Amino acid sequence: MTTHPTNWDQTVDVIVLGTGGAALSAALSAAEEGASVLALEKTNQIGGSTAFSGGVPWIPNNPYMKEAGYEDSAEAAATFIKRLALGRADDHMIDVFVDNAPKVIEFLREHTPVKFKTPAGYPEYYAHMPEGLKNGTRSLDPLPFDLNEIGEWGDVLRQNPIFPPLTLEEGGAVGGIDFEVVADRMENNIVTMGRALIASLLKGCLDRGVTVQTEIAGKELIADEDGTIIGLVAETVNGDKKYIRANKGIVLASGGFEWNKQLVKSFLKAEISTPVTPPGNEGDALLMSMKAGAALDNMSEAWWYPAMVDPTFEYEDNVMAQLGGGREGPNSIIVNKYGKRFVHEATTYNDMPRAMFEYDPVAVEFPNKGPVWMVFDQQLKDSKLIITMSPGDPIPDWLDQAPTIRELAEKIGVDPDGLEAEVEKWNGFCEQKEDTDFHRGTIQFEGLTTGGGSPENNLGKIEQAPFYAVPVYLSALGTNGGPRINEHGQVMTYANEPIKGLYAAGNASANPLGPIYPSAGGTIGPALTFGFLAGKHAATH
Amino acid sequence: MPQGTYTVNVPLNIEQIWDFVQDMNNWAPLVPGYIAHEIKSERESTWEFKGDLGFMKKKVKLGVDIKEWNEPSEVIFDLTGLSDNFNGGGYFKAERIDDYNTTMTGHLDITAGGKMGAMINQILKKFVPTTTEELTNAIVEKMLEINKVHL
Repeated sequence: MTTHPTNWDQTVDVIVLGTGGAALSAALSAAEEGASVLALEKTNQIGGSTAFSGGVPWIPNNPYMKEAGYEDSAEAAATFIKRLALGRADDHMIDVFVDNAPKVIEFLREHTPVKFKTPAGYPEYYAHMPEGLKNGTRSLDPLPFDLNEIGEWGDVLRQNPIFPPLTLEEGGAVGGIDFEVVADRMENNIVTMGRALIASLLKGCLDRGVTVQTEIAGKELIADEDGTIIGLVAETVNGDKKYIRANKGIVLASGGFEWNKQLVKSFLKAEISTPVTPPGNEGDALLMSMKAGAALDNMSEAWWYPAMVDPTFEYEDNVMAQLGGGREGPNSIIVNKYGKRFVHEATTYNDMPRAMFEYDPVAVEFPNKGPVWMVFDQQLKDSKLIITMSPGDPIPDWLDQAPTIRELAEKIGVDPDGLEAEVEKWNGFCEQKEDTDFHRGTIQFEGLTTGGGSPENNLGKIEQAPFYAVPVYLSALGTNGGPRINEHGQVMTYANEPIKGLYAAGNASANPLGPIYPSAGGTIGPALTFGFLAGKHAATH
Repeated sequence: MPQGTYTVNVPLNIEQIWDFVQDMNNWAPLVPGYIAHEIKSERESTWEFKGDLGFMKKKVKLGVDIKEWNEPSEVIFDLTGLSDNFNGGGYFKAERIDDYNTTMTGHLDITAGGKMGAMINQILKKFVPTTTEELTNAIVEKMLEINKVHL
């Protein structure tokens, strides 16, 4: 770490790195305690991965649920999280989360413009499990926000190319979109989902005097003689260095490391294709915290996503990974290079890609390493939004198609005998209304808004030519690992001591709940909660 | 209908401008985000370019059909989306000021159709005027370069 300079360029109480959900939650709570707060954003846009996302926090036992009449408790939520975590998370941190998350949401509701709604008809992803919530959801839907309320900051709010300006309840993430409403919101500068969450948090921060700067990145932490973090070296896009002192603490909340190829290769289970996040997430916080002696957790984990690509779209000079679509529908299967199915195709986006890590010790290979292929027929093409193709749209150049399954397999480099046999087998499952290999049609996620999966809705023969295939890539909504934190958001060492003055939250820290994604908002719920706790502790200690 | 019209005075005479704009090969590569174009016939061509929509870029393939060549003052064309559901048209018009100066006007209108049309047209409302201005300016710049006029 850099030794501290003779003269500081600027002094504040709390520095927050990043402007995503965790960062702005930390900045807001620190400012609420009276601290002077400086939030630094590396890119030229405010909002980080949160603005790019659905903006949904998963908050157990929250006040909006109670008002909607959904029963929940801290105990039930903790039991559920521990069930999913399979021993990979600290029970104490799970309890801290379920105790504090609803309080944070209550505070935001009462004292800031950050407002939510419990989305009707959007259940929990694991509602079919014994420990899952059966009635309602713990996910919260940000209310639409008028960007004019943040003035010129609206111009630098990160754009969201993934979700249209609809709420979750209005179909922003699951289809059934009313494009007239979308057009009206665009015309009137009304934002939803991740952009609404960030804009409303930013308003709360600005109201409390938080200073926000863009195009300046935290580069190196500065410690005093006893190892307490007292400031940092920041660098502007022009390469100018600034020494900024933090009297009370620094909160690292500048996102994960999914865009840093070297860190991905070092830590993740496999390389990922274009992540579904903004390209600024290059592990800045991870590198700084490692230098400061932080203990690391969950480093091989990410918020996995089986992404698909319409190669005609680019975001900030990279081919844009899309959320896909269609894999839950009938008339489709996902196969590996042998033409074989290897997973229940429509499990949650954080679960399904885990089957891509499978290792065959006899063949000595990863048979399901991406890209794998979603194979489907004209019936699905005519009935579902697939990547960017609406039913009835002309067939784009980039979509592989063929009049027979064999010809399709040959075209995409998949074993033709294997694929023909697999499609025949799948069609047999559809006839008997039971997928005895992978149990399609049995879980909540594949029929999220239609009461759960069923053979009627999720098993459909692949039989109507032409047949199509799109590659499915291993991607991620961010990384899950990073510096370990305690209940105050303080970064810990392997000696289980906090590094004084150093905090982390969101994807810049190890997820305190472990490598789990309990339902929509599994990343943002802990990010808002532990960001808030970190900001508050930094400001008051 | 998303549209844009951009007018600029050019220190060239109208024939010099006509010499340039009458041949699509001259100005197709000046379309912002140009990737390729192919002349199919005297009046028909296909163009491929990457449109910068602000929050993302989109590769688009379209057909350009010349409807009218009115020498020396006007080229009018139709646009048809080949990769995406949209259509429209445009023109370049030149109006003589004097022997050495001409007013040049570029115009584009593009309208998206289909289910997503209303949403895409909101995006095009910013994109089309910007592209019209950039294309017209690029054409002017190129013509000045060819005619060795330095401003």
